[in-house]
Amino acid sequence: MRSSMKTPVSVLRLPRGPDPNSRGFDPNSPRFIALCPTTVPSSSSSGSADEGEQRLRAELRERFLRTLLLMTGKRVRFDMHEHVRVHARFGASDIDVLNLQVSDLETPLGVQREALLRCQDVIACSFEA
Amino acid sequence: MILKMSSLVSMAMRQTPLTCSGHTRPVVDLAFSGITPYGYFLISACKDGKPMLRQGDTGDWIGTFLGHKGAVWGATLNKEATKAATAAADFTAKVWDAVTGDEVLTLAHKHIVKSVNFTEDSNCLLTGGNDKVLRIYDLGKPEAEPQEIAGHTSAIKKALWCNNDQQILSAAEDKTIRLWDKNTKEAVKTLSFDASVSSMEYIPDGEILVITYGRTIAFYSAHSLDLIKAVDAPASIHSASLHPEKDFFVAGGDDFKLYKYDYTTKEEMESYKGHFGPIHCVRFSPDGELYASGSEDGTLRLWQTAVGKTYGLWKCVLPEELSSENSEALYCPPAEIKA
Repeated sequence: MRSSMKTPVSVLRLPRGPDPNSRGFDPNSPRFIALCPTTVPSSSSSGSADEGEQRLRAELRERFLRTLLLMTGKRVRFDMHEHVRVHARFGASDIDVLNLQVSDLETPLGVQREALLRCQDVIACSFEA
Repeated sequence: MILKMSSLVSMAMRQTPLTCSGHTRPVVDLAFSGITPYGYFLISACKDGKPMLRQGDTGDWIGTFLGHKGAVWGATLNKEATKAATAAADFTAKVWDAVTGDEVLTLAHKHIVKSVNFTEDSNCLLTGGNDKVLRIYDLGKPEAEPQEIAGHTSAIKKALWCNNDQQILSAAEDKTIRLWDKNTKEAVKTLSFDASVSSMEYIPDGEILVITYGRTIAFYSAHSLDLIKAVDAPASIHSASLHPEKDFFVAGGDDFKLYKYDYTTKEEMESYKGHFGPIHCVRFSPDGELYASGSEDGTLRLWQTAVGKTYGLWKCVLPEELSSENSEALYCPPAEIKA
């Protein structure tokens, strides 16, 4: 039978591709819910040490997020791998803190009007509050 | 002559591969998990450094493992798809939680790591790469130094546990495949070839080793390393996989095509075009219903073993149904446009 005569197999839809805004691993998927214990213990049976640690973690996280808010619009110095140090105006971070949106990024090749910095490349950022 | 209904359907239907996009560079390795209560899963290694986890029967993206700073050359999942491991050009192998996507462990090496493989119980990880040394890590004691097995004289391309995780099979650029005893760390047997081995697959059920080199797909006993049979393909082959029931095997390589052979008769049954670049890896799913191929073109494609069967995203449609109202919900791929 000539292959051009054959009907192609029908498909319900195409495979879903990656979400550009996140690294995936949906915490609401049945597998995640079944296999991952909740991060915050609901009872104090595990001891106040865990509760204390959770409180500290929450405080640190809140402090980090507030720092990001404070950085908005400011001129920030980014220390990156391979001894790279650049200055730019900080715009925003994405939800997973994978990329930082900056403006007027000063590079050895000139000033980049708009740019995205990969967080995994950034070691530290500093700015005047 | 009695023909199965599925054969009649296959004869009348043209294979529609499902393309999984998302990678931006060549896909060099892929692996399936076992069958879990949530189905089975597929991990792909890519030169873009971002290995991806997908639902095995649909190709739907689940997540991307972020952390490597170089091309990822090897990727694997444990049977339960709860852990993943990757081997990369950044001189590390990493272990990941395959449910959350979090990086669990980074194992520093002295050179590019090419291959990673879990034991059945997921407690040990075998690595191999360009420093020519096989390493066994105890994942329960990650700070401990790994056990090392030296012997290969060139970069290791693939290393696998075999024979109940008591032995190790490794293929290297030195054109040998060696069988090692895990405890004595001695080479029990060595196979030498004229060309570099391009891929290796171990089938625990039946203890079969599938090897590709040049244009040849060869099947060996994993115990004795005796040759069972060999087949030559029309083009240079980079990877092959044997169906779980051992009735077919598939192979792909330089000419961008996927070949399907009858394992018993060694006859070529079908060949499929679709990829836009050489095929680097091909594997059957654990239930044998589909096989996945990874290519230089940056895509993974899923292919049906029984063309036309309802499975995953493929739907068996009888000719009358195609013209009915129900067909609106179905996607009929356009005819192939020949360049």
